[in-house]
Amino acid sequence: MHGIAYQLKSVLKDKFCLMTFLLPLAVAAALHFAGSIDLSSLGELHFAVLEKDLSRQTTDWLKRYGLVTACENRTELTATIAEPSTNVIGVMADGPGIRTIIAGDELDIFQQAAGTLPALYAQRDAAAAASVQTLERPDILAGFSDIFPSAVLLMAMFMGCTFNAMNILSEKEDGVALINEILPITPGQYIFQKIAVGFLFGCLSSVATACICFRLSGRRAGLMLAFVLLASFVAALMGLFIGRLSRGLMDGVVYIKIVLLLFLAVPILYTLTGVNGPLAALCYLTPSQPAFAGIRALNAGNTGVCVRELVILASHCAAWVSLYVVLSIRRKK
Amino acid sequence: MWKYFSALFKKDCRLLASGKFFLLTAGFLALYTAYINFGYIRFLKMPIYNVYLYDPTGTQTETSSQIKTVTSRKALDAALKTDDNGVGLDASSGEIKVLLYRGAPPVDRHRADYALSLLQPAAFVSPEKIGAFAPEEKARREITCELLFFELSAVGFLGIAAVLFKEKGMGVIRVHAVLPFSKNLFLASKLAVFLLCDLCFAALLTLFNVGAGGIAILPAVLLQTAILSLVMALAGLGFSLLLKDFRTFTLVYLLLAVFAATPVFLSANTSVKFGWIDFHPFYHFFMGLKNAYFQTPAARPLYYICSVGAIGLLFLGVQFAFHREMGKEA
Repeated sequence: MHGIAYQLKSVLKDKFCLMTFLLPLAVAAALHFAGSIDLSSLGELHFAVLEKDLSRQTTDWLKRYGLVTACENRTELTATIAEPSTNVIGVMADGPGIRTIIAGDELDIFQQAAGTLPALYAQRDAAAAASVQTLERPDILAGFSDIFPSAVLLMAMFMGCTFNAMNILSEKEDGVALINEILPITPGQYIFQKIAVGFLFGCLSSVATACICFRLSGRRAGLMLAFVLLASFVAALMGLFIGRLSRGLMDGVVYIKIVLLLFLAVPILYTLTGVNGPLAALCYLTPSQPAFAGIRALNAGNTGVCVRELVILASHCAAWVSLYVVLSIRRKK
Repeated sequence: MWKYFSALFKKDCRLLASGKFFLLTAGFLALYTAYINFGYIRFLKMPIYNVYLYDPTGTQTETSSQIKTVTSRKALDAALKTDDNGVGLDASSGEIKVLLYRGAPPVDRHRADYALSLLQPAAFVSPEKIGAFAPEEKARREITCELLFFELSAVGFLGIAAVLFKEKGMGVIRVHAVLPFSKNLFLASKLAVFLLCDLCFAALLTLFNVGAGGIAILPAVLLQTAILSLVMALAGLGFSLLLKDFRTFTLVYLLLAVFAATPVFLSANTSVKFGWIDFHPFYHFFMGLKNAYFQTPAARPLYYICSVGAIGLLFLGVQFAFHREMGKEA
């Protein structure tokens, strides 16, 4: 316990470390106050039409499928369609029907949609009469609106990693690491103290971020706390790994960047692209994936998936601890 | 003067080589190239929704070849469960019933109507194509542009600061106060090293990943790279002269990466648009680079005037900070 007090003292003197933990809070607050960014339109179709070219009914019919942008003239229409960052389909009147214009660089799905749109228009009355039954998705969430808050929370959870790595590296640079070797402190105690500090601050930062980003109550708050605890623990441990493996501050920064990038990119790509099969299993090798999936499931109120992700995260904790212990023992020999 | 410059230039090259800067850059080049060719391009195959038809009595005779027929209602449910973007058509009761898993409402409406349209023959009419690129070509240009921007504004920036903090820590900057040559040579040689390195990186990344069209866009890409590289190198120099140590810099860097890069990427690559993005300087740099990759008409002269102005101002600021640092006594 005495050791931890010293560790805390060293942390409080280090403004950088403190600010690392405040960063996710700042982002969370910014997101909260700026209002959630609307990502739901990303999967929708996007049309561009010429003003006064299509009838009101046709435009309304297009609006059923997605956003419609009205362009003043043909040049503007061409530019809107050709703009590489979007998948806009141009729609123009063609006798009683419509015809479509695309840039040709769109994904298959948009090219197909553009190709079938005239036929859809021709059959619009028949289609309106057909009965449609929508089924609830069992475990996949509709929309991506919770991606941002979840990613920020993930960042907060994994701040313990940056913090621990930087802390150990600065000890290495200042020569404190060498002094530690002759102090009457066992490697076990050292690991415990380091993890404890990173873990503690990671937890505090995540809990505060979670309070800003999510409104949870009762049992779900408990589950969220479990996620925060486990993820912060893994993160603190990762920081130890980085601190140990890198020789200098530069190496450390590169490692931290790679790890953070992986931690954030894997779950976000997983969610956006919906991979499955062996690739999905591979994604679960990063501890952030179960944490991220769990938080989203929790937010959507899906407790079953949540518990499953929690178990995976717990096994990550066990696996990484054992790896660290095995490495320490081998190093001693 | 040239003699001094070349001596400084060689020294900077040696410093970067010993800090494994070149190795790191080459590593990132290999990583990006591998990612584009083996990951991203394959990732982007996104076919339109599959349509499954269960029609035990054979009421639908003229269906499109894109429809997959299943033999039982159970098989239809199973198909939809594994392919939850797919659409099921159940014609067993005589009337067509559309089955699909819930998504965003406009997308659901399109999925249902699209599935029904496939029950008629020849539903597909090739749309008029006005763009210059095939999907893969576009994807290659887009991702190469993004990675180059990321490398220049994030990775390169960090590398510059790391090297400079090392020099600052060793007291090299103060030594320059007594050396018999123009103080600007020190800054010029630093800028030249990073600029050359970035230009080589940009050229190789473009040639390796854009493919045959890479040579044609190279001059425009290199021009934009030079602008961004100079701005980032000067910003890195400024930060490393003003901030106390590398750790404080890492924090500034983190803030920059989160707040500067995210909205730019969202605005420039998706249909999400922010009203205030025009005031974001990085957005214009990114769009300049993107326009170069897509051969869209070059930016307005105002952009170039502002860029040159920004580079000039940054240079003056860095010069001031450099003189202040030289004058400091330990």
